[in-house]
Amino acid sequence: MSDGLRISDLTVAYGGNVVVSKLSLAAATGEITGLIGPNGAGKTTIFNVCSGLVRPRSGSVRLLGRDVTRTSPARRAQLGLGRSFQRIELCTAMTVRENVEIGLEARQAGLNPLRHFGMARGSRASVATRVSDAIERCGLSASADHVVATLPTGRRRLVELARVLASDFSMLLLDEPSSGLDDAETAVFADILTSTVADLGTGILLVEHDMSLVMKVCQQIHVIDFGTLIFSGTPAQVQKSEAVRAAYLGAESVEAVS
Amino acid sequence: MLGDLLPFVVAGIVSGSLYGLAGLGLVLTYRTSGVFNFGYGAIAAAAAFAFYTLHDSHGLAWPLAALIVVVGFAVVVGPLLELVTRILVGAPDALVIVATVGILLGLEGYLYKQYGDSTIAFPQFLPTSGFTVSGVQITWAQVISTGVAVVGAVGINIFLRTTRSGVSMRAVVDNPRLVRLGGERPERIRLLGWALGAGAAAISGILLAPVLNLDVNLLTLLVVQALGACAIGLFRSLPLTFVGGLAVGVSAALATKWITRPPLNGLPAAMPFVILVVVLLVVRRSQLPESRASLAGLIAPVRSGLSRAANTAVAAVGAAVLVIVPWVVGTKLPVWIAAMGYFVLFASLSLLVWGSGQISLCHAAFVGLGATTLGHLTHAGVPWPVALVLSGLLTMPAGALVAIPAIRLSGIYLALATLGFGIVMQDIVFGSFLMFGSNAEVTASRPSFGFISQSDRSLYYVALAVAVLCAAAVIVIYRSRFGRFLRAMAETPLMLRSQGLSVNMTRLCVVCLSAFLAGISGGLLITQVGTVSGVTFGSVQSLLYVVVLGICGTRLIRSPVIAALLLGVLPGYAHINLDTQTLTFGIVAIAAALIQARRDALSVAIGRLAATSDRRQPPVRRAGPAPRLRTRREVEVKT
Ligand SMILES: Nc1ncnc2c1ncn2[C@@H]1O[C@H](COP(=O)(O)OP(=O)(O)OP(=O)(O)O)[C@@H](O)[C@H]1O
Ligand SMILES: [Mg+2]
Repeated sequence: MSDGLRISDLTVAYGGNVVVSKLSLAAATGEITGLIGPNGAGKTTIFNVCSGLVRPRSGSVRLLGRDVTRTSPARRAQLGLGRSFQRIELCTAMTVRENVEIGLEARQAGLNPLRHFGMARGSRASVATRVSDAIERCGLSASADHVVATLPTGRRRLVELARVLASDFSMLLLDEPSSGLDDAETAVFADILTSTVADLGTGILLVEHDMSLVMKVCQQIHVIDFGTLIFSGTPAQVQKSEAVRAAYLGAESVEAVS
Repeated sequence: MLGDLLPFVVAGIVSGSLYGLAGLGLVLTYRTSGVFNFGYGAIAAAAAFAFYTLHDSHGLAWPLAALIVVVGFAVVVGPLLELVTRILVGAPDALVIVATVGILLGLEGYLYKQYGDSTIAFPQFLPTSGFTVSGVQITWAQVISTGVAVVGAVGINIFLRTTRSGVSMRAVVDNPRLVRLGGERPERIRLLGWALGAGAAAISGILLAPVLNLDVNLLTLLVVQALGACAIGLFRSLPLTFVGGLAVGVSAALATKWITRPPLNGLPAAMPFVILVVVLLVVRRSQLPESRASLAGLIAPVRSGLSRAANTAVAAVGAAVLVIVPWVVGTKLPVWIAAMGYFVLFASLSLLVWGSGQISLCHAAFVGLGATTLGHLTHAGVPWPVALVLSGLLTMPAGALVAIPAIRLSGIYLALATLGFGIVMQDIVFGSFLMFGSNAEVTASRPSFGFISQSDRSLYYVALAVAVLCAAAVIVIYRSRFGRFLRAMAETPLMLRSQGLSVNMTRLCVVCLSAFLAGISGGLLITQVGTVSGVTFGSVQSLLYVVVLGICGTRLIRSPVIAALLLGVLPGYAHINLDTQTLTFGIVAIAAALIQARRDALSVAIGRLAATSDRRQPPVRRAGPAPRLRTRREVEVKT
């Protein structure tokens, strides 16, 4: 287990409104870390700070041991940080395959204007295989040539997942990836996550409201409320914690899982 | 020393208060309706002309004439604009821009038609006697004019603070999302906003006219210079907008005192736009009110359309026709040569607007830069083909400059920044040795090498070859990886950034490519005409280009072809008077934008019906890169 993403002493404010304060947490590569908390707790904000879309008031973000607090979103992605969005970000007019492809191409092109216009010799085939692999891994083979606009929300989330999986990131931030999936699809989804981590050694920081999914796949869970960390531990410890129970889970939902 | 400045300050305050009032009306309508009205200045101009007709031609006393015009504009123009807004609700910025620029062109064309192109002397109708304060002569006209502007501005503010409708309106100005919370009907608030805005425009138009005389173009653009005031108020604060108007007026007046020699003597006139551009470049994007749905989705490709075979057939027939043109059109050949230039121009615009979801209201400046560059180079003895390529390449730095706002801004603000850039170019760079210089015109020689002679027929084939090459380039670009980035960027730049793409680089590249093509088109156009002057490339031309492209649909190649026929070929055959043409384009643009906006809603409604009745649609493949209109909002999924 190595250092994937580490946030220290993070404070974020919108205007004068402090939404994350003095928060530190870490997520390792090669395992799945949960980040849970009630609505408005600041989970998406933390993701936005990690990926560089929101400037923190203070604190630092380290990615794979390197301080990236001041680098641009694109540069962080180049360094190996990928993410999905709570409000799905896809090209709705393109097909599933094109969406996955363009994600990978964007990663390859980066800052280099020459790479904007074409790809290196021979990489076309490898792009195609990586795209197909990711699509297959996410169970989207049947709809690979469908236009995204025709897909229901749950499937779209899978397209986003396929996009980040194809792009070979070492650390992934997934923001509520399973909302919109039914129970059967969620079970499949859990398998996709665990097998990805096992096969590729990727680290995942997972924001999720589906507690049974979180308890099932995560090795480590951080619980936040009102922008502060209130508990960190294994799923078993989280289920036992009185503080978490009080702040968030409610007695039934924890017991239902255990 | 100070005494020298005072007269300028006074003059600045007089016109500045009118800019302020106009700016106030503009912000008010923008915030209540979400529609940024590019035709606002034209409305002010129309009011000035209406007043002129009533007062000077029919001899009505000025207070009565002014009252009739102001009230008339509020109760007639206001509801008309509300009607337009109602149809445009939810439409992307590009359509709103096309529709309101259509208003501008339509009114301008009408006024030119009705009153002629020459400036009409407009005697001051207010008393010109006056008094002297510390050595400065002040006329009663100035006092009254400023007084009216201040009373108008304060009146609007009092109305917004005390009356019920006013208070809900102010809430909407502060935060347009509040419109439904107060239980007020948004239509009513908008209508009120438009009426107040039209009234404010009418007042400032009437009072500015004696200062500027009745020059359609000047009035149209000068009241749009209220934009400088709006920028200082960050398109949000009404009091600051008024103060901004004063600042614009005073700084422009002072600039006339200090800057009198070329090349910067165009600066005073461009002052409001300099302020606009600077503000847009300096403020953080989040400080500006959100613009509407982006241009995104405009470029969503059509699912069906012509099959590949049909496309090829059309292209083959088209190519055959183009090859035989010189043998059938007789003396009209120059028209067809110009059409090639226009095609490249519109292809360049189409790549930018439909290809990447950005907008440029300064394309005429690029074209002019390309044209003058080719002129200078061929003069210096550079062979024509080399000069043509260079005219494209040397236009790219201007493109790179425009890329700065393109990186920071989108939607309406990008449109405004590019409009400002174009006007600043026109007022400052056009007169410099880089472009038209002091002669105000540039000549170019025709290509002649190998078997290519200077005849029209030769030139036609050369131009055709260039146009075909440019079309091929645009298609190749659009289908390449870069083209895919452009399409994705129009819808979700966020995704591309999070995947590691530097979208700023993508934006820079596309604006530079577009500028390159625009430069080439300028080269072609000047070669055909032989001699061009700066007026051919004014900022109204830029507006016209966007509007004509908007009329011709949202296809990458097909629209530029139609646009070139419309703007290049048609006037050569039908002897349409230029003003009639402007008027017609304006009206057609409004109609086209409104139809597009509704057709959109219609097609989405049909799409939704189909989607609910049949979830498992067969795999849909895109047929080529042809774009069609669809707003993003409608295909977005709320989470
Ligand atoms: N752009 C913004 N401007 C101002 N406040 C914001 C902004 N984005 C989020 N907030 C506020 O910050 C707080 C944290 O929001 P955030 O979206 O991070 O919560 P979350 O934990 O992701 O919630 P959810 O589970 O609903 O997705 C909320 O109170 C929210 O209102
Ligand atoms: Mg969230």
